[in-house]
Amino acid sequence: MSRSKFVSLFKSSPLYDFLIPFQRAPNQWVARYIIIVFAIIVRCAVGLGPYSGQNTPPMFGDFEAQRHWMEITTQLPISKWYFYDLQYWGLDYPPLTAFHSWLLGKFGSWTDVSWFALDVSRGLETDDLKSYMRITALLSELLIYIPAVLMYTRWMGRYYNKASPIDQTIIAAAILYQPSLIIIDHGHFQYNSVMLGLSLFAIVNLLENNYALCSIFFVLALCFKQMALYYAPIFFFYLLSVCIFPFSKMNLLRLVSIGVSVISTFVLIFLPFVYKGGFGQIIQILIRVFPFDRGIFEDKVANFWCATNVIIKYRNTFTQNQLKKLSLLLTLAGISPASITIFLKPSKTLFTWCLASCSLAFYLFSFQVHEKSILLPLMPITLLLNEVDPDVISMVCWIANIALFSMWPLLKRDQLSLQYFVLGILSNWLMGNLSWIRMYLRMAKVPIYARELAMPVLPHNLFWRIVIISSYTLASLLHILDYIVEPPKQLPHLWVISNVVLSFGCFMLFWCWANYKIIHKATFKVKAK
Amino acid sequence: MSTQYNFSLWNIWVASTLLKILLFPAYYSTDFDVHRNWLSITKLLPLNKWYLENTSEWTLDYPPFFAYFEWFLSLFVPTSVSEDGCISLVAKGNFGMPTVIFQRSTVIVSEIVLFMSLQYYVNRSSNLKEKKRNFVVASSIVLSPGLFMVDHIHFQYNGFLMGILILSIVNAKLGNYLQCGFWFATLLCFKHIFLYIAPCYFVYLLSAYCLNPQAKFPTTISDLFNYVKWKNLFKLALVVLGVFAAAFGPFIYYGQLHIVFQRLFPFSRGLTHAYWAPNIWAIYSLIDRVLIQVALRVPGSAPILSLIFKQLDLEKLETANTLTRGLVGDVEFFVLPNIQPNHTFLLTLFYQSLSLVPLFLSPTFERFIGSMTLCAWASFLFGWHVHEKAIMLVIIPFTFLIPRDRKLLPLYETLTASGYISLFPLLFGSAEWLFKALLTFVWFVIFSNSFNEVCDFSSTLSRRVFILDRLNFLYRVGLIPLSCVIQLLDIQSRNFKVLQRFEFLRLMAYSTYCAIGVISSWNMFSWLYFLDDSLWEGREAKQKAH
Repeated sequence: MSRSKFVSLFKSSPLYDFLIPFQRAPNQWVARYIIIVFAIIVRCAVGLGPYSGQNTPPMFGDFEAQRHWMEITTQLPISKWYFYDLQYWGLDYPPLTAFHSWLLGKFGSWTDVSWFALDVSRGLETDDLKSYMRITALLSELLIYIPAVLMYTRWMGRYYNKASPIDQTIIAAAILYQPSLIIIDHGHFQYNSVMLGLSLFAIVNLLENNYALCSIFFVLALCFKQMALYYAPIFFFYLLSVCIFPFSKMNLLRLVSIGVSVISTFVLIFLPFVYKGGFGQIIQILIRVFPFDRGIFEDKVANFWCATNVIIKYRNTFTQNQLKKLSLLLTLAGISPASITIFLKPSKTLFTWCLASCSLAFYLFSFQVHEKSILLPLMPITLLLNEVDPDVISMVCWIANIALFSMWPLLKRDQLSLQYFVLGILSNWLMGNLSWIRMYLRMAKVPIYARELAMPVLPHNLFWRIVIISSYTLASLLHILDYIVEPPKQLPHLWVISNVVLSFGCFMLFWCWANYKIIHKATFKVKAK
Repeated sequence: MSTQYNFSLWNIWVASTLLKILLFPAYYSTDFDVHRNWLSITKLLPLNKWYLENTSEWTLDYPPFFAYFEWFLSLFVPTSVSEDGCISLVAKGNFGMPTVIFQRSTVIVSEIVLFMSLQYYVNRSSNLKEKKRNFVVASSIVLSPGLFMVDHIHFQYNGFLMGILILSIVNAKLGNYLQCGFWFATLLCFKHIFLYIAPCYFVYLLSAYCLNPQAKFPTTISDLFNYVKWKNLFKLALVVLGVFAAAFGPFIYYGQLHIVFQRLFPFSRGLTHAYWAPNIWAIYSLIDRVLIQVALRVPGSAPILSLIFKQLDLEKLETANTLTRGLVGDVEFFVLPNIQPNHTFLLTLFYQSLSLVPLFLSPTFERFIGSMTLCAWASFLFGWHVHEKAIMLVIIPFTFLIPRDRKLLPLYETLTASGYISLFPLLFGSAEWLFKALLTFVWFVIFSNSFNEVCDFSSTLSRRVFILDRLNFLYRVGLIPLSCVIQLLDIQSRNFKVLQRFEFLRLMAYSTYCAIGVISSWNMFSWLYFLDDSLWEGREAKQKAH
């Protein structure tokens, strides 16, 4: 496809219809305002719904965990943060999450002291508290994730796909209206957008060749949620590669600057703990953050271990230690294609692809994965909406839908089914994936425009067409069964397990396809030279 | 530029419907239980008991078509919903999520009327330029934050009623006077608040349809006979009376007409609603409050005030000096003269008839809409027990005028900004605050920009006063800190006893600040309506002039 002339792949989408009236240069700020403000409005509306663990004493859910962390960080000295009553939602994310909680807790206490009073506030559920927590999640996303997405699409528009500013805005909107992140952060309640946004800032800085800033942002992401490790190999190999290759002109200064910024950021973040509580603090934080004794998987999650557990009962066949080694081996094998490629060929066009493949491999094969962790691979995958190939767009839309589907059991438990379906329809419809419905509406005399039918929703390849259509069919079938039929008594988790197996199959196929694309792109470039 | 624009409201409908579905779990007001009760009344009771039933305090007090509409909806209540408590004649409804989902869906579905009538309006545009404008007008109405707040959160069926109003407006524009009259009569039988704008319909249809414009002004009896198009007059009367007969006929049959009317026009309510609508009476009450303070705090001022207004009873003033007073609907004035319903009625009628005179003399469509806006405005500003929601009745007709001339844009912006923000206290919870604020803000950004793009430049050169525009702008910007600060104070009121005592002050700040905007844009609009004829000539005349 020619790079010189960008044709928006979303040309037949409602998003395009909405934003194209603002394409004149003096109005483009309006388009950006619209997508940002509506992104927040949608998140606000989702936030009106329930959150995880609402009205379920004694442990409640993730919402209570976040609130509890605000409570302990504001009420206790820093040296007790990682030690206090670990049975009740002990802090198990790295220090930056703790600082973030401390800040929000301080602001919250300024509003209402009772929200974060030590111990007595456990399980507190008032409307105002809920609104406050929702607003903090919104603000965190508004300040970190949303600008990062806009910066990324702007860079892509300038140097990669040559999209016009209005097309960049449209692509950014397609990324911002992805349902999975919205429903987890603002429905279920977590602060994933902070970590994803910090990683995205790292990516943007890497694209801009600001290596030191890139590594600082990445360390910040790591220190917010350890799950950012899913991205680490790619960042590491890319940065290493641009420093040491070519050997003749090894850029030692660059290597040193990256090293210094990484180490100093870590030191700065851990310093308050060491200063107040000695080095034992670091060990405790590490124990809390990497809970290797919690088993290979906890809930039902669409990864390799849980899906194949149907056939091989891992917990009975292997010991915990064997399982650790096994999963380490498989994970290493899974991330190697992307890591090796990016090491040998550190190209910016490959970077997002490799991130996608590597983080998906972590999700599929590593130890102790949550169903929400799909958000990590999903972030670089949705960034691929910047590609100029309609087949890629179709694949990305497909896997984004499957990712949302894979979280269905969790969301159903949270009573977020309404939000699940509405957001799923909204994002697909905005991107034009539902335009084919209009064909049938033509009979009902709803006026229709030719270009609305232009976009191919499915890839050209027959194999993928079959895969996508059959996976959608199975998924809808499962939803229907889930709604009308109780699972059989001896298999109470049948629908959940089927969901896991189906999603795992799709993720696995997507991972293979991503690796194929990476290798294809890497070698194709060499030939072109 | 060969960009093909899409003039279908379909996309907007899908997007806004999805957003509205997300609002299902949001706060709803007592109006929700009101409508639930009406569903039960119409479902469970025979027609002759509808207006007699009073188990719940939310008795049926809308005209018969609305009751029929509720009856029609009650046909579709699934058993799971009626078991949930949706259908039961009790003093206070006891229901769960299924009822909420059902009732909120009926609002969304009935609002399709609004979309269809606006799509009809867009489709009947004569050329591309006009189509573009009409599309902006249509989308600004369907996306109106007022409808989101009042219909989809607070809970009412305004969208559907506005759809009928727009049908009659479009028919007026196309010259189908009979249909225009038919739809308006239907609308009146749905909700009698539309009586606010009935005078202009009467004058317009009379003058444009039933009078002979060629004939000279009648001086003799035979002149008068020629002056009236009797055939048209009878046709129109037949249509309108037919609609009223369909609505009220059954109740006349049962001999309950007087009961229905007692329900429709309860004059026992106070001058202002619990929260003051931003109108003249808000300012009037504010002045009264200030004067009470002056009389109590400034020594020697009481005799002077007594001299000007009325005999002051200082003991009564002391008891009046609690700021919480006024949350109760009935407002008594202590320094200023008290207001009686007939005062407000006369004031309203006076300002309405002023706007009707030019309409009678030259019944163009533009003047018709202009006087409709002014009629609604006069009722809103001077009426008895006006709800803040009635501002929608001013904003929606006004929207149809904007593309005519850019001169109207600043006052439209002031009106919408103050009008929509005055709706904020309807949703007092913290959960919806960000939603309503952002929606209003983004609506404003989108449509002030879009209207700027499609509006005609002023035909008469610059009568706009630069300073006034700046003031206008400053006023609108001032609304942002106003709503933020009030919300902050609301949040902080749990920490400071003082703030709890001043709860009423915050509502007062909203209504008085918004009243300034509504009144000043009314002034500007009246000025243009009476003095700038170029705005109100028919389209043909305007084209000829160029």
